[in-house]
Amino acid sequence: MDESATDDRLEARLLAEIAAGVEQSFVDLYRRRQQDVYRFAFAMARSRSFAQDVTQEVFLNVLENARRFDSAKGSVRAWLFGCARYVVLDRLRIERRWTDEMPPEAAELGADERLFADQRTERLHAALARLPVEYREALVLCELQELSYAETAAVIGCPIGTVRSRLHRGKALLATMFAERSDSAVEVEAPTESAMRPREVCP
Amino acid sequence: MSDVRPIIHPLDSELAQLRTALRAVEAPPADETDIKAAFRAAARARAVSAARLRRVRRTRAAIAAGVLVGVAGVLAVLVDGERTPPAPSQAAAPPATPLFVEPFQPLQSAPRLLPAASYSVVRVRIPVSAFAMVPGSEEGGTIEADLLVGEDGLARGIRFIEADAWLASAEQ
Repeated sequence: MDESATDDRLEARLLAEIAAGVEQSFVDLYRRRQQDVYRFAFAMARSRSFAQDVTQEVFLNVLENARRFDSAKGSVRAWLFGCARYVVLDRLRIERRWTDEMPPEAAELGADERLFADQRTERLHAALARLPVEYREALVLCELQELSYAETAAVIGCPIGTVRSRLHRGKALLATMFAERSDSAVEVEAPTESAMRPREVCP
Repeated sequence: MSDVRPIIHPLDSELAQLRTALRAVEAPPADETDIKAAFRAAARARAVSAARLRRVRRTRAAIAAGVLVGVAGVLAVLVDGERTPPAPSQAAAPPATPLFVEPFQPLQSAPRLLPAASYSVVRVRIPVSAFAMVPGSEEGGTIEADLLVGEDGLARGIRFIEADAWLASAEQ
């Protein structure tokens, strides 16, 4: 039997038990998926404290919304990414970490602030964090979290074709930004209002 | 089929390195006690909000029931009012018996009629032969008349209901 299908069934059962008030099921799901949520938030915002706050908030939302999970619409992992996306976008909006207030370039970081040992990887992540959020989330979900196009489309709430075009355009922008050294040399389109506005806490 | 990714982008290898580096990123270890405490706090908050929601729902239901009862009462009054015909229209309805326009004629042997006194009207059929002055009275038959009877039981006045028709037929 497919391992991911078994995981899906187990995690769907855990969510059902959480909805019924089983404490240990919540602990189990937290242990299984905490890292996924944390890494997604970290990849999006490039901040460990941000990722930690997002992880806590996402699992609190899970407690509130566990009964809303529908296994017919996708896996628990994708559902959790949907919850995490909402929290990330909401916090980014609140903290105004949009492209007009970009995080510092990798080169500007001190040695103790660096997140990755490899400087090239560090620079790529910095460039990713400066992408408009609609391209950034598509790249993080598809390329870094390895969700399928269909799962990414379900998480973002858009057609698969839109995911593909955002990926294509996002990669092009990222390549340009990665190649450039100067901030001002790169013209980045502002993210659309609809891309900033998350749909629901948990899809 | 939609997930096929045929295009190799120059950035793919860089992204693969970032993916690998991200896998090494670990969330700070969470204490099981903290997780359980968060679960219990959320459960308590849910219970409180559920109780509050139930109270709000009960209050709303009571208000809604009160409003419904009030509306039903008003509707009942309105419908009842529509069904009961108003007094003026009832008064305008045609009477069951025709109004008599002929005045009562005082009887010669009886005390005179007083406007303030109380009388009863008694309808009788009188043999025509009792009226010697009426032409054709020898032929027999009866004539309908109203007698005005006083409180003492004595007749005070009389009016003939069919007099005109009877007289007309007698003349022919």
